Amino acid sequence: MNEHRRQILQMLSEGKISADEAERLISALEERPSGSPAQGVSDSGTKARPKYLRVQVDAEDDGHDGPTKVNVRVPMQLLRAGVKLAGLIPPQALHRANVAIHEKGIPFDLSHIKPENLEELIDQLNDLSVDVDQADHATKVKVKVFCE
Amino acid sequence: MIPFVAVVSLRGRESRTLRVWVPLILLWLLLVPLAVLFSPLICIVCLACRVNPFRTFSVGWQILCALNDTELEVEHRSAGISICVF
Repeated sequence: MNEHRRQILQMLSEGKISADEAERLISALEERPSGSPAQGVSDSGTKARPKYLRVQVDAEDDGHDGPTKVNVRVPMQLLRAGVKLAGLIPPQALHRANVAIHEKGIPFDLSHIKPENLEELIDQLNDLSVDVDQADHATKVKVKVFCE
Repeated sequence: MIPFVAVVSLRGRESRTLRVWVPLILLWLLLVPLAVLFSPLICIVCLACRVNPFRTFSVGWQILCALNDTELEVEHRSAGISICVF
């Protein structure tokens, strides 16, 4: 059993993917000619890790203010340190923060952020790309979040 | 490595750009005695909050080191600011 197939079965057993998704992934693996690496994966089997998270905001105002541009580049290392910082939040503060988050209707538990999940979390950001376009009668806002 | 320099660029209404190089190393040198002085107090606060003080210092140091290569730019028709940390 090759490594990819083993990973898919592992994800299925952990409940991360459904049986249908596992079947699709396995059939995609079988369709791929053996020896050819997957798209975006290097010969060594590891993806090139992005170094920065980039946020770009372009706001065009039809009024007299003119356009506003925001460009932020955050090193991934800072995100790693930030997640570690979340692990330092005292339990009582964590509980209060979780309650506040749930009150806002966001189904997220800060206590699930653990250092052992950190690398997995950062790795998932590799494929992150968020594009938001908003066009009101007066303003047009474009937000782009991606890794590079 | 912790960042040594921050470059702050300010652009005014007349499109004149003022670029300031801030030597962060001097700031760190000034803060080191304060950090040493307040470290017992920080340790006590950490222990009171049931947080490992060594881990706190470690994460603080990591955040400081990770600030390298951070870039922030805000551009507007009348003004703009850019901050780069090296």
